[in-house]
Amino acid sequence: MVVNCISVNFIQNSISIRVNLLSNSCDTDSYDHAIKDTLTHLSIKLLNVFPVAQNLSLNAKKMGEERAGKRKTQVSFTIRAEKECRHHSGVASIVYDPALDRVHSAGRDGVIRTWSVAKGQFRFVHAMEHHTDWVNDIVLTCGGKNIMSGSNDCTVKLWNAQKGFCMSTLRTHKDYVRALAYSREKETVASAGFDRAIYLWDVNTLTALTATKNTVTTAALTGSKNSIYSLAMSPDGNTLVSGSTEKVLRVWDTRRYTKTMKLKGHMDNVKALVLNWDGSQCLSGSSDGTIKLWVLGQQQCISTIRCHSQGVWALAAPENFQFVVSGGKDCRLQFTDLRNANYNSTLIAMETHPILSLCLSPDNAMVWVGTTDSTIRAWPLPQLHGDGYISDEVYAGQPLMEIEGVPAIKQYAVLSNKRNILTKDTKGNVQLYDALLAIKVEDLGQIDFEEEVKRRSVPIYVPSWFSVGLHTAMVSIHLAQDENDCLGAWVSAKEVGLISEDEPDQKVNYGRLLLQALFEEWKRLSTGEQQIENTGPCNGFFSIPLHTPVVIGEQGGKTMYRFLVRDAGGEAERSCLAEAIPQWVAEQIMDDGQPPKFVKILFFLTPHTMNGKSLKRERLFANDFISMRKVMEHVLEKVEEENQQSTTGSVSGADIPAEERVRLFCLETPLSPEMDLRTVRHLLWKGPGDLVITYSLLKSERLSL
Amino acid sequence: MGTNASQLEKEIGLEFPPNERFFGLANFGNTCYSNSVLQALYFCKPFREKVLEYKAKNKRPKETLLSCLADLFYTIATQKKKVGSIAPKKFIARLRKEKEEFDNYLQQDAHEFLNFLINRINEIIIAERQAQVSKQKSATDTNCDNKSQEPTWVHEIFQGILTSETRCLNCEMVSSKDEDFLDLQVDIDQNTSITHCLRCFSNMEMLCGDNKFKCDNCCSYQEAQKRMRVKKLPVILALHLKRFKYVEQFNRHIKVSHRVVFPLELRLFNTSDDAVNPDRLYDLVAVVIHCGSGPNRGHYISIVKSHGFWLLFDDDMVDKIDASTIEDFYGLTSNFRVNQRGRKTLEAVVKKVLHRDYNEHVAAAVDFRNSTPCGFNGSTAIKEAILHVRNRVDSWPHNMQNHEAILTLVISTSLFEHFQ
Repeated sequence: MVVNCISVNFIQNSISIRVNLLSNSCDTDSYDHAIKDTLTHLSIKLLNVFPVAQNLSLNAKKMGEERAGKRKTQVSFTIRAEKECRHHSGVASIVYDPALDRVHSAGRDGVIRTWSVAKGQFRFVHAMEHHTDWVNDIVLTCGGKNIMSGSNDCTVKLWNAQKGFCMSTLRTHKDYVRALAYSREKETVASAGFDRAIYLWDVNTLTALTATKNTVTTAALTGSKNSIYSLAMSPDGNTLVSGSTEKVLRVWDTRRYTKTMKLKGHMDNVKALVLNWDGSQCLSGSSDGTIKLWVLGQQQCISTIRCHSQGVWALAAPENFQFVVSGGKDCRLQFTDLRNANYNSTLIAMETHPILSLCLSPDNAMVWVGTTDSTIRAWPLPQLHGDGYISDEVYAGQPLMEIEGVPAIKQYAVLSNKRNILTKDTKGNVQLYDALLAIKVEDLGQIDFEEEVKRRSVPIYVPSWFSVGLHTAMVSIHLAQDENDCLGAWVSAKEVGLISEDEPDQKVNYGRLLLQALFEEWKRLSTGEQQIENTGPCNGFFSIPLHTPVVIGEQGGKTMYRFLVRDAGGEAERSCLAEAIPQWVAEQIMDDGQPPKFVKILFFLTPHTMNGKSLKRERLFANDFISMRKVMEHVLEKVEEENQQSTTGSVSGADIPAEERVRLFCLETPLSPEMDLRTVRHLLWKGPGDLVITYSLLKSERLSL
Repeated sequence: MGTNASQLEKEIGLEFPPNERFFGLANFGNTCYSNSVLQALYFCKPFREKVLEYKAKNKRPKETLLSCLADLFYTIATQKKKVGSIAPKKFIARLRKEKEEFDNYLQQDAHEFLNFLINRINEIIIAERQAQVSKQKSATDTNCDNKSQEPTWVHEIFQGILTSETRCLNCEMVSSKDEDFLDLQVDIDQNTSITHCLRCFSNMEMLCGDNKFKCDNCCSYQEAQKRMRVKKLPVILALHLKRFKYVEQFNRHIKVSHRVVFPLELRLFNTSDDAVNPDRLYDLVAVVIHCGSGPNRGHYISIVKSHGFWLLFDDDMVDKIDASTIEDFYGLTSNFRVNQRGRKTLEAVVKKVLHRDYNEHVAAAVDFRNSTPCGFNGSTAIKEAILHVRNRVDSWPHNMQNHEAILTLVISTSLFEHFQ
């Protein structure tokens, strides 16, 4: 068969399809010899057999540009400890490295962690951090040397598994990368996800990438009509199977880049797939609760195993398909004998949470289980004795090993000061965070969350200037210019405790301060302050923890760049940031940039009368943070002006504080002098239409004289 | 007009139901949107009964939209003659006072009017109930608060519950949210039926790409499947066929004249698993029809079922029609069957329309006559019929271009009583 190959070269100006080679990711000590400070833009050659590919790719490029123009960029960061040695959230994929007796586990907290599990004892080795969202799947390649990972941040990354650093990032996918598959013989990895495309990567090419030799060739298998949730590749790399919400299995020939068949039978999404040693048989697990065994040569399902009451999410089977271990939403860990047509199924264990991932040990003696909870467990498998598989009674109900995680944060509430955040984790622990300083303030233990939120609420109004994300089960703060304009909150530095009582007060903008703190190192170095030893915080008030990861990305979409606060000054990072920092952020960081505008509120001031109606209305336009005391002073000034006009030598009451001479009301509620305008507007006036404040003068004795 | 009225009485003859009145409503300049809806509502038995009951209870009420409606219904119901026409002067005057948008002589949307009317009546009932409660409170001081929370009779008649079920494809948890509805608004397709449109209404929608679902369980954006189903069926089901569609290309709404078949009996199947009364069978009792080519022109009429036969209300005109002619109102089709009956009906309607004083339509009619009948979308049958009529009649009102159903009121009657 003659294949028409069209290769499309994407050059650097297309954001959507770029490979970054960088290594500032790991927080282990062993990454010195990584190609640090090297950042290279690679072009990806897209190899495609379909004549439409050229148009498709060009469209994709155009779309990418459009999207980049349309979508707003946001800056996010995660509040966390410097070293996070335990999983915070579900474990979506586990691989075992027999050479070093290590387990690599991919977490929904965005971190891949490596554990040494020799002699039945586990020890944390290192964490691979560079993904900014859930890691959905990992595969171990090159005999354990490298790991490839796919994530909800739409990237595929290649890692040095033994030293734990990121070697390159593939940004070809346009949506979440959900599944990977690996062929041992060809050293090929397939990646697929919600953008419906499957890409094939040659691992040897990827690992050999350097700054000058930076072209990757990928072949795309297109044609899937739905989001892909599962993939499997035969060891010889010739057969690829994909499962999607289309409810069918698509079988692809990777040599001809064509779909060879569609297998129908499942009633719902296909979430797990395994191929046997020669790619002739396939096992599929579906959200419809069944496991099906297919013979690809006959294009048919030869058996349906019903041992789960809900969706099957994970499968693990040896290459000879003697048995299959399955798990899913119903938390049941099932073992099914596949050697004869009875398909006897036994329950190995009940997990506490729905099962996401399974990994067999090479001797098939045990299985590693990852769930939506953060703890990984290893369970013993039944062993073949004579004719049947027999479970070892000794271990019944007890896991062989347990790698404990920490509880995931599931709930949050931003307190009324719009700075503190209360969170609650899966164990019911409540924590207090400070979004401005990017730190956890304290652990409050297992207390009533709602009560605590109520208790800590004060009747003041500050505009929302950030949004909170819990997708990685840690607190992420997003700064953007959307409905929560991050530059919309001006506060008094004294009132919020940024300066001491005896210093002169000043108005500060929360978002501006925080942006300056996030990019502190970058600013310091790019303004040439290198020589001057630490001159204190850039924003004049505070610095945030240096290990804080910062992400520049599209709002609710792709990650464009990730760095640690400490590294922002590095040479490679600087050149990258120069490109990635959005204009509106740069304006806040650089000294010559305009500070954000004050937020103004329009309101009417009218004398308080008995019938509530007055003809005299003064239209005023003021900053949203001015206090009622200022308004009172304004009223007095005005009255005095009038008095001066009418009577000469009027009584001056300047020595009496304004609040003792004027009373202000909003909808009949008296206003205290400390209250600010926006609080009156949002907590008292509430309704639409312009705020009306009424005033009445208190006739003190001295005034009446 | 008198001849027409007595003709109707003659046509119905001995079958004429006792205590029933068939009265047309005079047009005050583009008030056909209100007339057609009022007729449809008048012949919704449960609604009419409640309105008349309200009239009987409140002898000297403060003038509200509801009191005006009650007076109108009462006037019709107590007419000495069995047929004729009256002018809903007071009601229209009140309507124009209550809502600015209706205070003019422009063509209005009948569906909008129906919604407004039902909601306003509901508000009036609640307000009156609260006034009563506060009065009682001073006297008895009993717990009357929950009374004002109870649904009003308007809601008891028209309100149903829709439930939207969203299933996250990651954690496979289903979250559902209920919302009340007064009518179901369905999109339409060419050559389909109400059943098909309702099926599309409840089709599974995939939330993916830029439109992902924020799953509370996963704490992140995930793909999800969403569908809308009916959880509680209302006593009277109002269906709104969305025939006015916004077309971006033209930057305005255009009329979609697709042929949509509606049955005389309807059973909903897009009900949720926990629906209270999923088997309820609905009987078609009234259809409000928009005739004309666009949203800002045309005419509204209604056809109504009463005591087993069908009546066509066209402002002050009332005609008995054959049940089989209902299919003329399904919408425009390219293969409109030419048959003697169809032509005859059309001719009859045209003649009747010509009796009327169309002062506000004259300009449009003239305009229409000067142009070719291109508004008929190549429907030869109608064109033929029109030419046929045109040869004999001098003027041709523009609003007879075609008949299309825009709003159907499908009401459960006999069978609903079984459920009670």
